[in-house]
Amino acid sequence: MSYYWETMRRMKNARIFFEHKAQAIIMALAVLTFTSCDDKPEEEDLPGTIRLEYNLTWNGEECEIGDVQIDHLDHPVRLDNLQMYIAPVEIRNDRGEWIEIQDVALLDFGINGQRMTAEAAVGSYTGLRFGMGLPPEINTDIDPASYANDHPLSVPGSAGMFWTWSSGYVFVKYEGKFASETGNQLLEPLSYHCGTDESYRMVTFDFEETIVIQSEETTGFGLDFDAATALIGPDDSIDIVQDPVTHNAQGTILGARLMDLMDDAWTLNPL
Amino acid sequence: MRYSRPHVFLVSSFVLFLIGCKGCNPDPCDPPCETVATPYTLEIPPFFPPMDIPEDNALTEEGIQLGRLLFWEKSLSADGSMSCGSCHLPSAGFADPNPYSTGITGAQGIRNAMAIVNLGWASSYFWDGRATSLEEQILEPVSHPDEMALPWDEAVQKLQNTPTSANDIDYPSLFNKAFATTVITPNLVTKAIAQFLRTMVSADSKFDQWRRGETYLTDDEFAGYEMFIREGGDPEITPGGQFGGDCFHCHSEAGLQFSDYLFRNNGLDSVFTNDAGLAGITGSPLDSGRFKTPTLRNVALTAPYMHDGRFQTLEEVIDHYNSGGLPSSTVDPFMKYNSGGLMLSEVQKARLLAFMHTLTDTAFISDPRFQDPH
Repeated sequence: MSYYWETMRRMKNARIFFEHKAQAIIMALAVLTFTSCDDKPEEEDLPGTIRLEYNLTWNGEECEIGDVQIDHLDHPVRLDNLQMYIAPVEIRNDRGEWIEIQDVALLDFGINGQRMTAEAAVGSYTGLRFGMGLPPEINTDIDPASYANDHPLSVPGSAGMFWTWSSGYVFVKYEGKFASETGNQLLEPLSYHCGTDESYRMVTFDFEETIVIQSEETTGFGLDFDAATALIGPDDSIDIVQDPVTHNAQGTILGARLMDLMDDAWTLNPL
Repeated sequence: MRYSRPHVFLVSSFVLFLIGCKGCNPDPCDPPCETVATPYTLEIPPFFPPMDIPEDNALTEEGIQLGRLLFWEKSLSADGSMSCGSCHLPSAGFADPNPYSTGITGAQGIRNAMAIVNLGWASSYFWDGRATSLEEQILEPVSHPDEMALPWDEAVQKLQNTPTSANDIDYPSLFNKAFATTVITPNLVTKAIAQFLRTMVSADSKFDQWRRGETYLTDDEFAGYEMFIREGGDPEITPGGQFGGDCFHCHSEAGLQFSDYLFRNNGLDSVFTNDAGLAGITGSPLDSGRFKTPTLRNVALTAPYMHDGRFQTLEEVIDHYNSGGLPSSTVDPFMKYNSGGLMLSEVQKARLLAFMHTLTDTAFISDPRFQDPH
């Protein structure tokens, strides 16, 4: 028998096989499917979402970049630029473990609606914390050009927020103008650029009540930064007339004092 | 005669094959057959960041070549006397050596033409940043009444009608090779020029060579570089001051761009009635007098300086920053207008100048790929 006819014979046999056995096979597959459903291991719940909204306040009142305010020593002051690196953002589960939900972000309070969303596993959580600035491992000795351009540490992503490879990034930029006396034009420069590894601060919040993240549901928090409180705290205060400038790439004391004050300038509000 | 199913299948397949092959014949198509342009891989120089190229305008050999022709094409002006290159001269670092560029009618703008260099890394264009892409930027000069003054519909028609006795370039054919269509549109013209401009990369200045370990800076050049990256001001007056040039904050060395591409008021004026800068776009008084930070690459070639070309020499520029500039409600806090300026000595200023000259890239300005091909 030629190869051609042998092939035809086999195809015919195969057709007969399917005609007679198809129903049996479908039945068998259906049984297997239902059986396997019974034995299926328990799936993990889909994660929930955490939404963080960063807001700017002055003495507890919502404000915007460009508003003229009065500081604790009655100086008129106008914030023109407030930017800040946040890295990382973490939440604490009920076993006391900190879980990272975002690695690094650059907040720009000149842009309304500074929001961030991240996935979080279903469960109970007791706290939230974030680094103000950049941890040492990503602050220095990494070329910004090595990041993709949409990364907050890239060359365009860090525009105006990068010193040099050795001194790293500006953690917080708090800039504006002030007048030393009420009624004067606001012409004096206020320029606080805080950074260096020693200035890195961790802002930590313990939730008043345990927060439960539900599957596929969103849990929101407002994080308010009070720019007035950044100049005065329980243990220290800054006189902007006496100390209007710090660019503490060289580790000036004023920069570290500001970071300590700003550490206390945050409040957390469940939304 | 009875045919088996396999025979019918074989015959049908053969017929279909013949029909399909008819579309492959070399006869001219109407509309034109689609062509596939040759992808071009741009080499990113050492220490530079990636370049974000729009997905809808990938670089191609044909697109870049077409863009070069169009950049230097005088037919894109109303009287055929000006091309883009007329105000971006290679000898001036692809900038205009005049404070204001003069259009075909003799009218002048109010700002100095910016240097064309490493534009693919910029995030906005024009001194006030009103264009957010190169393609958008290129749309403006052709039809602007004070520049090339040619409405876009006429511009594309002139290209569409080529070749002519006055212009022997067959633009429809070149657009077909680059963009698979002979129908020329303003959008495609800007895409081609943008492709060309993205290839205009300067990365071979003496400073680049030094960064790559290929050469040495002189003592003065290196001292100038140190001045460049030092905080300005007297530490007794300005905390953290290092008597430096304080240049690096805005002309950031990150990614070797020598600009942060942000907008600043560098204290040139106290009032901004002549030119509001960024505020003219945003409407915000906080942006009054703020202009884009230009790159310092080839800065020794791109006189005059500032958005209005008011300074003829780099010495004047250094003197301005050394003075601290003029106060205003929006002057940048980096300016030392209220603390005695930078207080640089003549020797320090000369060193800073020596460093700035290391950013000159003569290979870039004389690169034959960027010269007028007409």
